[in-house]
Amino acid sequence: MNELGEFALMMALATALYGIAGYVMAIRQNRVDLYFSADRTPLIVWGCVMVSSVALWKAFITDDFSLQYVWAYSNRDLDIFYKISSFWGGQKGSLLFWTLLLTTYMMVVHVQNRKRDLRVVPIAMVVMLVITLFFLFLLNFSTKPFEVIPVPPEDGRGLNPLLQNYWMVIHPPTLYLGYVGFTVPFAFAVAALLTRNLDDGWIRMTRKWTLISWFFLCMGNLFGAQWAYVELGWGGYWAWDPVENAAFMPLMVATAYLHSVMIQEKKDMMKVWNMALILLTYVMTIFGTFITRSGLIQSVHTFDEATLGYFFLAFLGVIVLFCVGLILKRLPLLKSKNELDSFLSRESSFLFNNLVLLGIAFATFWGTIFPIISEAVRGVKITVGPPFYNQVNVPIGLVLLALIGIGPIIAWRRATWSNLKKNFAKPVLAGVVGGAVLFPMVPLTDKAEILSYVAFVLCIFVMATILIEFWKGAAARQSLHQESVPASYSNLVWKNKRRYGGYIVHIGVVFIFAGIAGSQAYSVDIEKHLKIGEKITLGGYDLTLEKVIWIKANETKERLIAQLAVEKDGVRIWTGKPEKEFYKGQNQPVSEVDLRSTLKEDLYLILADYRGEQFDPVTNTMATISDGEATIKAHVMPMVAWIWMGGWTIALGTVVAAWPDRAEARRRLERLKRMEGVFAPAQQE
Amino acid sequence: MSGVNFLEFILIAVVLLLVGVPLFSKFPPRRLFAPLDMETEEYKHLLVRKEEILLAIKEVEFDLKTDKMSDDDFQIVRKKLEDEALSVMERIDQLEKELKKKPASGSADIA
Repeated sequence: MNELGEFALMMALATALYGIAGYVMAIRQNRVDLYFSADRTPLIVWGCVMVSSVALWKAFITDDFSLQYVWAYSNRDLDIFYKISSFWGGQKGSLLFWTLLLTTYMMVVHVQNRKRDLRVVPIAMVVMLVITLFFLFLLNFSTKPFEVIPVPPEDGRGLNPLLQNYWMVIHPPTLYLGYVGFTVPFAFAVAALLTRNLDDGWIRMTRKWTLISWFFLCMGNLFGAQWAYVELGWGGYWAWDPVENAAFMPLMVATAYLHSVMIQEKKDMMKVWNMALILLTYVMTIFGTFITRSGLIQSVHTFDEATLGYFFLAFLGVIVLFCVGLILKRLPLLKSKNELDSFLSRESSFLFNNLVLLGIAFATFWGTIFPIISEAVRGVKITVGPPFYNQVNVPIGLVLLALIGIGPIIAWRRATWSNLKKNFAKPVLAGVVGGAVLFPMVPLTDKAEILSYVAFVLCIFVMATILIEFWKGAAARQSLHQESVPASYSNLVWKNKRRYGGYIVHIGVVFIFAGIAGSQAYSVDIEKHLKIGEKITLGGYDLTLEKVIWIKANETKERLIAQLAVEKDGVRIWTGKPEKEFYKGQNQPVSEVDLRSTLKEDLYLILADYRGEQFDPVTNTMATISDGEATIKAHVMPMVAWIWMGGWTIALGTVVAAWPDRAEARRRLERLKRMEGVFAPAQQE
Repeated sequence: MSGVNFLEFILIAVVLLLVGVPLFSKFPPRRLFAPLDMETEEYKHLLVRKEEILLAIKEVEFDLKTDKMSDDDFQIVRKKLEDEALSVMERIDQLEKELKKKPASGSADIA
C-alpha cells in the first residue's frame, strides 16, 4: 500500500502536468477532444491524492514503522484518534493533507461549475492545477511522506505530547480549510484577470467559497488559541507568536475583502482594490505557510526544514510578481466610472474599516518579519514580542470595534447628519450608562485597565447599535408587511441573510473583544510551593493542596496529579486536578492544566513543579504520597469564556449569511431565462 | 506480478482510460471559446446591475423606514437610482436587439 501511495502521488503530478498543458493547448488550438480530456484531470488528481492519503492513514493505523514518517510521529500505544491526526502532525503529512484539501476544493469547484461560464472556469482550474503541481512537486521530490526505513523499528517515536490534545486534532484541519479555501477565489480572480472577464461574475461565483474559507480561518485561529490555552500551560491563549500571526494576517485581509466586495456588488466600483485584496489574502496564506515551514522562525508551531523554505519563498515570489504584473496590465479594464455618492455613507465607513484592518495586518506583518530583517541587515536578531503588538494593534483594534458599531447606523450611499445624530443617540447613551455603571466596578490604575475599560464601553455601544438595528428592522417589517413580532424578526433575518448574518458575526466579534479586554487587564495569578494541607488564596478562591498522585496511564505515559480543594466563601465548589504527564522517550514532562470556566471568570491551575516519591511499580496503581509537595501556579482570568462564545456566535452568523438564498436563486433563474432568448445556453453565466 | 504492482498497473490503466477516452472520441467541430465580445459581456453585466439597482432601491426605502435617511436624501438617492435603472434597462433592450441579430456563437454546444 505504501508503494501505491507513493506511486499515486507521482501519477497525480503527471496528471496535473497533463491537465495544465491540456487545458492551455485545447484553449489555444480549439481542440475539443483535448479540452474534455484535460477537463477530467481535476477529478483524477483528487483521486490519486486521496489514494495516497488513504495509504498513509493505513500505515498509521496499522503501525507500519517501515515508513520514516509514521515512525517519527506515532507509536503502538498511541490512541487511534491521535494516530489519525498524526497524519498532519509533521511536515510531510501536513503537506499531503494540504494537497488533499486543495484537490478536494478543486474537485468540488469543478463539479459545481462544470456547466457554467466556460471562459473563466477552465482557466481557474489551470490556476488551481498549477498550485497543486507545486505541492505535488514538493511531495514527490523534496518532502516525501512515503520514505522508507530499511530496517523497520519495533515501535515509533510517538506523537509530540503537546499535539495529543483534541483541539490539536480539530485546529489544523480547520485552519487548513481556511488557508487552502482561499485558493478558490484567488484562482477565479486570476482567471478573471487573464480572460478579461472583469465584471463581478467571478465574485458571485466565489462569494460562498470566500465566506466559508474566512469562517474556517477564523475558527482555526480560535481553535488554535483554545489549544494554546489548555495545552501549553502558560496561562494565556494568544502570544503573537509568528505562526499565530501567519494565520491572523490573512484573516484581517480577507475580512477587509468581505466588506469592500459589497461595495463592488452594490456600486460597481473598487474593482482594483477588491482584486488586490483577494490576491493579497492568498499571498498572505502562502507567506504564512512559508513562515511555518521554512525553519526561518523558531516557534512551538513551526516545522524546521530550511530547504522547503526556499521552495516556498520562490513560489511566493512568483505569485507576487505574477499578481502585481497582471493587475497592472489589466488596470485600464478595472477602472470604475462610479464614485461614492457621499462621504457620509456606509461605503465610506467600509473603506475606513478596510484601512484599519489592513493597518492591523501590516503591523503584524512588520512585527513578524522585523527579526528576520534585523538579523539580515545588522546581524542581530531583535525579538518582537507581545508589547509591540499590543501597543500597536490594541488602539487600532479599538477603532475597528467602534467602526463595527458605527457602520450599521449609517445608510448606504448617503446618510443624513440629523438622522445620524438621532440614530447615534441611543447606542451612545447605552455606552455612557454602561461606562458609568462599570466605572466604580473596574480598576483603572494602568494603561491596560484603561484600554480595557474603553473596550467595554465600546462593546456596549456596538451591541446596542446591533440590537437596535434588529429592533428597528423588525418594527419596519411590522408596519410595512403587517407581520407579527416573531414573524418580523425571523423574516428580517431570513429575507436578508447576508446583512443580518453579518450582524450576528459582529455580535460574536464583540464577545471576543469583551473577552480579550477582561482577561488581558484584570487577570491575577500566583505561584506558590505547597505542602499537603497548605492553602493559597487568589481572587476570592481558597486553594488547598489535598494530595499528589502518580498514575501509570499506559505503557508510555505516567501522570502526576496535584489535587486541590477549591473553596469560595468557605464552601467547596470544585476539585482542581492539574497534572504533569511523562511520556516514554520525552525528556520534558507536559503540563495539563485544569480549569473551572464560567462566563464570569476562569480559574486556571497549573502544576508547575513537584516533589515526592515515584509511584509504586509493584501495585502499579494510583498511590497517594503522604509527603508529596507541589508548586502550583493559579490564574484567575475574567471573561475568557466570552472569547469561545464569540467564536460560536461567529459560526452561527456565518451559517445564516452563507445559507442558500432562494430569492437570489430565483433572480438568477430569471436572468438565465431572459438570456435564453438572446444566447445559446453555454454562453450564459 | 505482485499485489502492489498490480494496483499500480490498475491506477495507470484507470488514469489513461479517463484522459484517453475523449481523445479517441469524435466531437463535431465547434469553437470552444468565442472571442470576448464586449457587447455580450456588457449585456450580462447590465442584467446583474439592474438587479442590484432594484435591490438598492428597496434598501434605501428600508433605510428611510428605519430612520437612517432623511426624506430629502431619500428623494435624491431614489431619483438617482431610478435614473440609473432606467438607463440600464434601456441599454439592455438595445443590446438585446443587437445581440439577437448577431450569429450564434460556437461555444454554445460545449457544456
